[in-house]
Amino acid sequence: MKILGISGHYHDSAAALVIDGMPVAAVQEERLSRHKNDAAFPLRAVEWCLDHAGLVPDDLDAVIFYERPTLKFDRVLTGLLQGYPRSWRSYPKAMKNMLGEKLWVRGLIASELGISARKVRCIEHHQSHAAAAFLTAPTDDAAIITADGVGEWATLTVGTGHKRPDGSTEINMLRELRFPHSLGLFYSAVTAYLGFAVNEGEYKVMGLASYGSPTRIDEMRRLLRATADGAFTLDLEYFDFLGKVETGFSQNFVDLFGPPRRSWQPIDLHSEEGRRFADIAASAQRVLEEVIVGIATDLRRETGLADLCLGGGVALNGVANARILNEAGFGRLFVPSAPGDAGCALGAALYADRILFGHPHRTVPDHPFWGPQPDDTALLRLALEDGIPVAMVSEGELIDDVADALASEKIVGWVDGALEFGPRALGHRSILAAPHDAAMRDRLNRDIKYREEFRPFAPVVAAEHADLFFELPPGGDRLARFMSGVFPVRPEWRERLAGITHVDGTARVQVVDQAMAPRLHALLEAYGRRSGIPVLLNTSFNLAGEPIVNTVAEAYSTFRRCGIDLLVAGQTCVTKPRVTRVASLETAA
Amino acid sequence: MGVQSLHDNPPRKSAATATKGTGPFADLVGIVLRPLHRLIWANPERRARKLLQFAEVEAAGGRDLVRAAELTADPVLRDRYLRHARDEARHADMFQAQGRKLHGKLHEGDANGALGEWIAPGERGIDGLDVARESDATLLAFLHLSESAAARDFARYAHVIDDDAATRTLFQRILRDEDQHKKYTRDELFRIAPRRSRRVLWWARLRRLWKAYLRFATAFAGVIAGVVLTLQYFLLLPPFAWLAKRAARRERTGWISVDERARR
Repeated sequence: MKILGISGHYHDSAAALVIDGMPVAAVQEERLSRHKNDAAFPLRAVEWCLDHAGLVPDDLDAVIFYERPTLKFDRVLTGLLQGYPRSWRSYPKAMKNMLGEKLWVRGLIASELGISARKVRCIEHHQSHAAAAFLTAPTDDAAIITADGVGEWATLTVGTGHKRPDGSTEINMLRELRFPHSLGLFYSAVTAYLGFAVNEGEYKVMGLASYGSPTRIDEMRRLLRATADGAFTLDLEYFDFLGKVETGFSQNFVDLFGPPRRSWQPIDLHSEEGRRFADIAASAQRVLEEVIVGIATDLRRETGLADLCLGGGVALNGVANARILNEAGFGRLFVPSAPGDAGCALGAALYADRILFGHPHRTVPDHPFWGPQPDDTALLRLALEDGIPVAMVSEGELIDDVADALASEKIVGWVDGALEFGPRALGHRSILAAPHDAAMRDRLNRDIKYREEFRPFAPVVAAEHADLFFELPPGGDRLARFMSGVFPVRPEWRERLAGITHVDGTARVQVVDQAMAPRLHALLEAYGRRSGIPVLLNTSFNLAGEPIVNTVAEAYSTFRRCGIDLLVAGQTCVTKPRVTRVASLETAA
Repeated sequence: MGVQSLHDNPPRKSAATATKGTGPFADLVGIVLRPLHRLIWANPERRARKLLQFAEVEAAGGRDLVRAAELTADPVLRDRYLRHARDEARHADMFQAQGRKLHGKLHEGDANGALGEWIAPGERGIDGLDVARESDATLLAFLHLSESAAARDFARYAHVIDDDAATRTLFQRILRDEDQHKKYTRDELFRIAPRRSRRVLWWARLRRLWKAYLRFATAFAGVIAGVVLTLQYFLLLPPFAWLAKRAARRERTGWISVDERARR
């Protein structure tokens, strides 16, 4: 059976294709359209998935949309009515938005794909998240938590999942929290208050939090209060999700915490104002952790299950994930490579296969590489056309050359195999560098990423050596497989891993095993033989404001525009001529 | 990239250069619009916001050009586009720096408002153009027209900024690049499509007009829809709002079980 899953219309659209119970393709629209967080109907992603499998739309047996538009409309309309008359400005915009396209998704999909609307079905948003988390995880029985801004009505759900020996699959939702009481919206409001883009800048809040102290935690707890049944409620006096949709915080919030940061204001962590923002970030982060750890602890006690699958945008919070793993009592915590809405495309397709159509469970390959393969020969052509030094070398030689370059403090653009599905660069579209020196971090920020100083870079380490350098709790290596947890760097290594050690001594480490990314693993080992430390700095292969590169041409243009010294795609290796590098640095200066 | 994008601004010396060749109609439009431009740019807060907005437009334009560089099969164009993209990124930085500087001198809450949000045609660049769907020739034609329109608009702005030498100088510096961009896009268009370059340019002009019409029509339809929905809101919704609020008061906080949810 051929099932296409689609997510979209809010942020980070995606499509995924499942054939006979196995994923064969999944890609975010932004990687193809080149619009970061593209929320448009993911037509390019759909086309690529079908092309990849050699299908035409008529071949599909079902198309599953990741949420129920009518329930969402119900929530939007009810919210606007409850906010009357304060919601008068939002009402026309919301109605135009919903009635224009979003409410008629089945017809839209049928029309765009040229298929019968009877093939198109919708499942609930948090069912999609739960399926993406549980059905892709290598576990048979697990508790499930999904948490994000909001789906239809639900903002957070808890439940369990079971893959039975007879092949049947169950996902049982036990209970949920409903809009407007939302961890995701709480964090997004703080994100907006701190001047970052909502649905994009949440990880900046997490990075900033490490520079602050949770001095405002009591105020934050007033905003987000625990309820007697172990859940929480937002004090809506401090939020305005109807009147100020773009920001979500109210004047009371401003009165409590002071003036918000304007998006273009730099954050100077040495100033009082900068420290105020950092403290607010730290306080919000701490409260979020307390709440999610509490919910996870209760669920562990209730279900007695050893594994937890976590989905939804909140699962991108690596600090909170690590605390759940450490404190909630679960032995393993599974977070998919795409826990946000993009991952719902895959979750919806798998949910339909296992639950709606009742097909037996099949083990999903445990990797994130479901996207387009690069055309390695393109790099040779581009470099020759532009007169840039290029070499094609054998595999062993290439790994050695790249390791040598990294050891001599070169920055490497690394394109290897199918594109990752999800927001993290997990070794197929990465910028790699030596992790030892804070100067390297500064150089990356200055010449390549052009981003705030408070944002850390992540390390990647070969699985065999992870425990030596990082304090991974039991199950930590699993959580770090897709870079989903933040763990302490062992104190004795912090000085020699200064490029990836955050101000609080932690790192969002990726633990790579040989089976998942053999070339990256080989490179880590080769680098380890040279430096004594098989760890590299691994950051996503993109520039500020752009999605992660997909094609070799995109990697090449990124290479041309920034301070990357070496670009590798397949067996081809391109070196930036010194004169070009100097010129580009002069331009940047 | 689809996007709003590249371009903008030329300045004073620009005033002469940029309007050159645009004809008496453009001169007339410039004169007619001058009071409006003066109004927009007289307010320092609004000026700061416009500059920050230009920074975003320039950055988006740079990304459009990068995309064009990634897609073209012509190595000369690839190089040109990448250089152009670098210029746009630099312009974005310059606009942002000046916008921040101006903003830093102001008190919070100074006037801003709708005029500061308005985007002139020249500031939109190749707005809405999907670079991936364009040929090299049509893209160059669009770029050329965008650069020209932007240069013209910014020359007009430079004319009306009387008391802010730094911003005027900024426009003038950027205009020098814009003139280069206009020239190279035209030269490259004539190189890659020597026989049909003029036709492509005219076709691009018509498409820009069509896009302008679509923008206007969409905005007009949006206004009409907004009015109708607002009337609906105040005339039809009050009883439903009362019911919704009553229901909300009965909502309890905390968990909702699956059984309870099914009952709703």
